[in-house]
Amino acid sequence: MRNFLVRSKVENGVAVVYPKGHLDAHGVERFEKELVKLIDAGVVQLVVNGRDLSYISSAGMGVIMGYLDEIREKGGDIKLCAVNERVYEIFDLVGFTDIYSFLDTEELALQSFMG
Amino acid sequence: MKKPEPELTVTLPARTEFLKMAVELTRHIAALNQFDLKESQKIAVALDEAMTNVIKHSYHFRSEPLTIRFTCSADALKIEILFTGDPPHVEADHLDLGRLIREKRKGGLGVGLIRRIMDQVTYRTCDGVNHCEMVKWKIRSSISAGN
Repeated sequence: MRNFLVRSKVENGVAVVYPKGHLDAHGVERFEKELVKLIDAGVVQLVVNGRDLSYISSAGMGVIMGYLDEIREKGGDIKLCAVNERVYEIFDLVGFTDIYSFLDTEELALQSFMG
Repeated sequence: MKKPEPELTVTLPARTEFLKMAVELTRHIAALNQFDLKESQKIAVALDEAMTNVIKHSYHFRSEPLTIRFTCSADALKIEILFTGDPPHVEADHLDLGRLIREKRKGGLGVGLIRRIMDQVTYRTCDGVNHCEMVKWKIRSSISAGN
């Protein structure tokens, strides 16, 4: 059984990525492939919906970090939503909450891209 | 005579497949030692980061043995990781997220994260065996939880 799964959808130019389970150095390649697939397809507005993310280590945060500058240079952004409290605390410890927008719901994250 | 501190030692292959198992074990041990759920989760993340560094930077993904030793006392939980391979290259303590983003780095968070979670982190090499020792004090932890 896989500890980590990821899927995504693109609607109106905004991609929503759904990581599910335990995201550590073991599952990170799958997560990165999903993000790269979207970025290579020209998507620059990304939402990471963390509703099913039970755990994240710096390996997973590193992927989100590694593409942020490129995406912002292209006029886009990466936003996060629906992250549970324990996972949010880990993001907060490294300072992600100062640099990324964390929204309560996917709907709010999508709306924030609409201006 | 002073009773010996309870100790648990686990040796496993240094492979990413075993990270989740080690994280769950650490979380469980932290919870048994009166750390609350949030603190237990953070301590488990610190273990993950240290173990991942060994897998990547000391063993370069070679599946060699890695030992984790947990020592529980009234005041603290001590976690040691013992491994051979290359001595750890300890990144700068200061975690500069802005710089890492500008440099489009995907790594460089691990050691800083460990230091933000644990109260004491030391690395040493003795007789060809590398030690990463991480300590979390119970008192400091409960004080910070109350803030």
